Amino acid sequence: MARNAREIVSLTLSEAASLVKCGEVSPVELVDASLERIEAVNDTLAAFISVFSKEARQVAKAAEMMALAGHDLGPLHGIPIALKDNIAVRGLRTTAGSKVLANWIPDHDATVAMRLRQAGAILVGKLNMHEFAWGGTSDNPHYGTVRNPWNTERFPAGSSGGAGASVAARACYGAIGTDTGGSIRLPSAINGIVGIRPTYGRVSNHGIIPLAWSMDTAGPMTRTVEDCALMFGTLAGHDPKDPTRARVAVADYSADLRSGVAGLRIGVVPAYFFHHLQPPVLTAVRQAIDTLVAQGAQVTEVDIKHIHGNISAQLTIESAEPSTYHQRWLRERPDDYGEDVRGLLEIGEMLLATHYLQAQRYRSLLRSEFMNAFRRVDVFICPTLPFTATRIGEMKVVIEDGVEEDMLSAIMQFTGVPSLTGLPALNVPCGFDPDGMPIGMQIIGRPFDEATLFRAGAAFQEATDFHRREPDL
Amino acid sequence: MKRRQPIDAVVVRQLAGYAGLPLAAGREQVIAPTLDAWVADANALSLKMSAEEHQALTPATGFSHPAPENGEH
Repeated sequence: MARNAREIVSLTLSEAASLVKCGEVSPVELVDASLERIEAVNDTLAAFISVFSKEARQVAKAAEMMALAGHDLGPLHGIPIALKDNIAVRGLRTTAGSKVLANWIPDHDATVAMRLRQAGAILVGKLNMHEFAWGGTSDNPHYGTVRNPWNTERFPAGSSGGAGASVAARACYGAIGTDTGGSIRLPSAINGIVGIRPTYGRVSNHGIIPLAWSMDTAGPMTRTVEDCALMFGTLAGHDPKDPTRARVAVADYSADLRSGVAGLRIGVVPAYFFHHLQPPVLTAVRQAIDTLVAQGAQVTEVDIKHIHGNISAQLTIESAEPSTYHQRWLRERPDDYGEDVRGLLEIGEMLLATHYLQAQRYRSLLRSEFMNAFRRVDVFICPTLPFTATRIGEMKVVIEDGVEEDMLSAIMQFTGVPSLTGLPALNVPCGFDPDGMPIGMQIIGRPFDEATLFRAGAAFQEATDFHRREPDL
Repeated sequence: MKRRQPIDAVVVRQLAGYAGLPLAAGREQVIAPTLDAWVADANALSLKMSAEEHQALTPATGFSHPAPENGEH
């Protein structure tokens, strides 16, 4: 069956991978279609900092010959993917969205880049982001303002904003983002796609420009849960090059996707996670939980006594650690930073050591409360963030009662909890607001139990079609 | 807890001096409002974490030794 380029980019990653394996679509067709789509949308979205047309086509031809010869390169054979530009790829410029690293050509691959290549994926480009991943808007002063494909006057969130926008716009089948305080989950929610923050230590950070060492993670962003699980399986696992590594067995994340949620115990924390939200977000997440309950899941209300304080802890840690990493550059070339990131890095130098350590003690407390709660529940479900996409350039957000709030604090209201506790969290699209902007729910799980998150997310997507809708771009 | 001194441009300039961080002219005014708000919240968290019930908590900054590699002891 002949497919045109638009039909090819509309395939999910899993569909495309299956079609490559049975010879119905070639890696060259996939890469050509992706590159054509990038060409069509990138002037509008500014999602890509670099596009590797020539290299990707060369690799695609080789992948096609391998497929024709009957060689299976792996689960991502011939699949066009893109990487956030803080992920090193040997010989290719890696900027971290900054002027500081504008001309940096790494001499090594990040482990995630290497593993994707080993699984057969083809790198089509590097993605725009909030400068050095320190912020949630992806309004990048050096490489352009990333725009939301659902409404290009709205922001794509961040810091992996280019990843969110490119996947939603069908410019690539999957992307790798990084998540410290929410930077995979937020743009996934705001752009209507799926994204997972892994358990801290599950996916190697080797070769990724750090933001805050004690919370940094990397993970896939895709259109469906099935795609995310497939991609995640190629990334997870021990890496001796990463000091945060964990020696924990890697599950087959695709194995239980059709097992359903009968008996799954969902924890909710209404006093925090259902409080202080835009009404369409609350409605969508409550309806999503009802959808899972209709499939046999059970809901338990949980009180996390010390959950308040998490935003301050998050901001303190996420200030002090980046300011440590950037200390030399901030003194030698402060004018090379954008205004907002420069200010945040300066602030991080002015907090006390006791602030930082009390925040780290708070993490122990919060984690202990969640681990106790996991005796009674299997997952927690909450909104990924309390509002939908704001207009580009706004640094204040109105959540309720017309009160303007600081964007950075507001956007991390719910994503900070998994970041501080090291728990895995999956964003799944669960609705749209009256303006047609996507809404996401966050499913939080036990350490290293990403498989259960994928199972719950897949069950939800079996029953809904939010993930099948696409922006009119 | 004693009432905290607000963080204004003068305080920011002093803090930058302690940190050995050269600040360009006008940066104090940019930083001060956010730092003031964040320090207020951080102090509140510090007060909470100083309570007797949390005395035994250790920070999440410790490291654990990896399991020995093959043949390594």
